[in-house]
Amino acid sequence: MALPDDPDSRLIDRLVARDERAFNELVRAYEGRIVRLLARMVGNEEEAKDLAQDVFVQVFKAVGTFRGDSKFSTWLYRIAVNLCKNRVKYLRVRHANEQDELDSVAEKSLGDARPAGGGGLGRPDEQLAGKQVERIVQEAIQELEPSFRECLILRDVEELSYEEIGEITGLPAGTVKSRIHRARAMLREKVERVLGEKIR
Amino acid sequence: MTDPEKPIESSAEEIDEGPPSGEDPMAALVKRSLAEAERARTPAPSILRGVQRRIRKRSRGKFFADGWSTTDARVSHALIAGAMLLILVVAYFALGPVGVQ
Repeated sequence: MALPDDPDSRLIDRLVARDERAFNELVRAYEGRIVRLLARMVGNEEEAKDLAQDVFVQVFKAVGTFRGDSKFSTWLYRIAVNLCKNRVKYLRVRHANEQDELDSVAEKSLGDARPAGGGGLGRPDEQLAGKQVERIVQEAIQELEPSFRECLILRDVEELSYEEIGEITGLPAGTVKSRIHRARAMLREKVERVLGEKIR
Repeated sequence: MTDPEKPIESSAEEIDEGPPSGEDPMAALVKRSLAEAERARTPAPSILRGVQRRIRKRSRGKFFADGWSTTDARVSHALIAGAMLLILVVAYFALGPVGVQ
């Protein structure tokens, strides 16, 4: 079952035995991380919470198939990432244009990030001094292609290894590294274009 | 829909790794920016009840159907059983001698 050194190994044994209290413990232990991960990926808190519930339902259903080849948290992240991809595809079909959906969500969540009038973003020195830059980065992350965004978030925010990201996304480690590098380059380009300054 | 347990993509791309995360200023900026968004977010209520409800519905009441498994209280069954035993013992000694006389 789980790896012997996996801190979740006893919990997993109880989950496989269909211990409902163990499942409650699992949800309490991981819900924060899973909701945050999904919120970063879909850019919408409510959508993320709905999706996270489906993730745990899927875990409850499939925990018996967990072979322990990877850490339990990696397996959980893989389910979350794959359900997220399915949801994004569904939204794309439903709304015809996924980017419009994500843009509008990012627009809503960023709210007052832009100065009134919707023109420029003010002087670059002011932007660099304040939290404006961070908001611009948040917006730019939502504009990245989903497959690039997920690799970037799993690496730079969740601090997973390239191998773990590979296990979650099904990509070779080299491809993961390449996507992260390209995602950062795209992000840098977008942010520098808005700021009109180089990021050092 | 694809199987959520199986990785979706497996295509290889050209390898262009760039500098390690620790040396890339964008990596630090991404981390800082998303941490900033996190701080601005109000703590969300637990999704546990929603998850239990979905499992109960999909399993047609097989799981999470009783008050024990769905309660938020973390008091164990053993603790409650112990308290009940204590109450019974106290009741026995309090009422027992009266009954004998």
